Amino acid sequence: MIGNVIKYEQDNIDTDVIIPGTYLKIHDYNELATHAMEGIDPDFPSKVKEGDFIVAGKNFGCGSSREHAPIALSTCGIKAVIATSFARIFYRNSVDGAFLLPIEIDDATYQKISNSDQLEVNIEKNEIKNLTKNEVYSMKPFSEIIAKIIAAGGLFKYKK
Amino acid sequence: MTETLFEKIWNSHVVVERENEPSLIYIDRHLVHEVTSPQAFDGLRLNNRKVRRPDLTIATIDHNVPTTDRSLPMVDETSSTQIKTLEQNCKDFGIKLFGINDPNQGIVHVIGPQLGITLPGSTIVCGDSHTSTQGAFGAFAFGIGTSEVEHTLATQTLWLEKPKTFEILANGQRKNSFAVTSKDIILSIIKKIGTDGGTGHVLEYRGNAISDLSMEQRMTICNMSIEAGSRAGLIAPDSKTFDYINNREYTPENYDNLVDTWKENLMSDPNSKFDKSFTIDVEKIEPQVSWGTNPAMVSDVTGTIPTPEDYGKNNEIQVESAKKALAYMNLEPETPIVEIPIDRVFIGSCTNARLEDLKDAAEIVKGKKVNSNVNAMVVPGSQMVKHEAEKLGLDKIFKDANFEWRESGCSMCLGMNPDILKPGERCASTSNRNFEGRQGSGGRTHLVSPVMAAASAISGHFVDVREWC
Repeated sequence: MIGNVIKYEQDNIDTDVIIPGTYLKIHDYNELATHAMEGIDPDFPSKVKEGDFIVAGKNFGCGSSREHAPIALSTCGIKAVIATSFARIFYRNSVDGAFLLPIEIDDATYQKISNSDQLEVNIEKNEIKNLTKNEVYSMKPFSEIIAKIIAAGGLFKYKK
Repeated sequence: MTETLFEKIWNSHVVVERENEPSLIYIDRHLVHEVTSPQAFDGLRLNNRKVRRPDLTIATIDHNVPTTDRSLPMVDETSSTQIKTLEQNCKDFGIKLFGINDPNQGIVHVIGPQLGITLPGSTIVCGDSHTSTQGAFGAFAFGIGTSEVEHTLATQTLWLEKPKTFEILANGQRKNSFAVTSKDIILSIIKKIGTDGGTGHVLEYRGNAISDLSMEQRMTICNMSIEAGSRAGLIAPDSKTFDYINNREYTPENYDNLVDTWKENLMSDPNSKFDKSFTIDVEKIEPQVSWGTNPAMVSDVTGTIPTPEDYGKNNEIQVESAKKALAYMNLEPETPIVEIPIDRVFIGSCTNARLEDLKDAAEIVKGKKVNSNVNAMVVPGSQMVKHEAEKLGLDKIFKDANFEWRESGCSMCLGMNPDILKPGERCASTSNRNFEGRQGSGGRTHLVSPVMAAASAISGHFVDVREWC
């Protein structure tokens, strides 16, 4: 996966800013996507491109259980959120519906990645290449459990 | 081998467990509301699946119902559509729905316990993060997303990673147990362990300061477990728990036998091992007021707004987040909390809109008037709470003081219905989240207890409510 970075240098980016409550009545994913990140970055839907990555600090996606949050980001074209840590429900929602990959990195890597950098993410090698800066970082591997749900393509395809 | 309460509940619900695989966990109760369920029902239809156990599935409408006169047609068409969609889904799939005009309608986490649906030792899910509320009954109750709602509807099970355990030990006696509430205890805990302190863990609240609490106060504690990032919050059931559930509409017929089993089993074994532990002395806790944009940004009422440097210590991101929070909240460092004027008061939400909350708030309000600069409202957590409050005359106390007295629902906790803050308005709120825009775009939320909200409504600013009682 290759894409460009939209970086938010913030911890605790919550689901209410990812998709404010008033839009949870919207059933259509494309319409939902026009309000993605509206709480902190109203320009997000116009600047995001297919394949982009969001990079942020710790506890990304804290708050509500709304699956609308990963849905809105993924419908905008976001393939992965790369953060120093995630809130659990957002993490599982991202994987369960195969909407996007929640990728964890350490603080040092977070500091090295800048807005607009082009990254190549390789989850087989647990590796992130920064093509702009010609650097290579490691990502935290998915747990075996999560890796299996991702490999299956979501919760419903994961059958035993 | 010793086991914690959580491990006992988990082990008794495992359907499949293999190394390095998720565990398949049986779900005893599935609560459903209008916001996180439509896509799940669509998924069932698309794949020609039924609801596996409609008898264990209960639905209500809470997030976007109007709290004004419900005999009038709904103005918001998208809300109306979402509500009609749930009504149709419940009809098509044979699910019991407490609809908009049902006497049992209410916030999903309020109606579960009040109907005797929430039982100790059970697993409970709902597409809503505050499902953790019901952990107060010694149930493993947790919020899930819509994909998991669909999975539960189809199979009555979920593939889960086993969470770790985190003991929160609360000891001591509150100095003023009317003015220092369970809301102040949980806000103090989150202030200390942080918004991600509980990530990947189930919190078990223990100690005499927890057993001293009533069931409704315990629900407030467990409700906000999610604000510390945890999977769920738990309190071992005791005689207060068993008495609370007895003789409710859905209390099981063999209740006495169940209580005997629960008494034997539902506690952490002596010397059981928790993965993490945190201790708090409640004697030192003051009434709390949040000043920032997450539930860990909280101050004692006798304190001041911190400087970003003091708040963030040497962590640059924390310093920046405090600066950003203060800018959003339009607050200056070192301002005394009691000098912050407010525009709105919201007494409501799954955190603090049960009967005891309303009784305590009414005690403060009785015979007084809301400050002329403040617009204040009370939104009972359920129609049953509303009805019981009215029998006690609480509605009259609030209305006489110029509070609005509304129908039940989530209301201004999350700004999905017409009850929202205007940009720039500052609200003392008994809800659970002070995120940017949570109560309406540009709205500024301060999380407080019901008695603090009530006293602030009268004064027009925050006050040390201990001086009022």
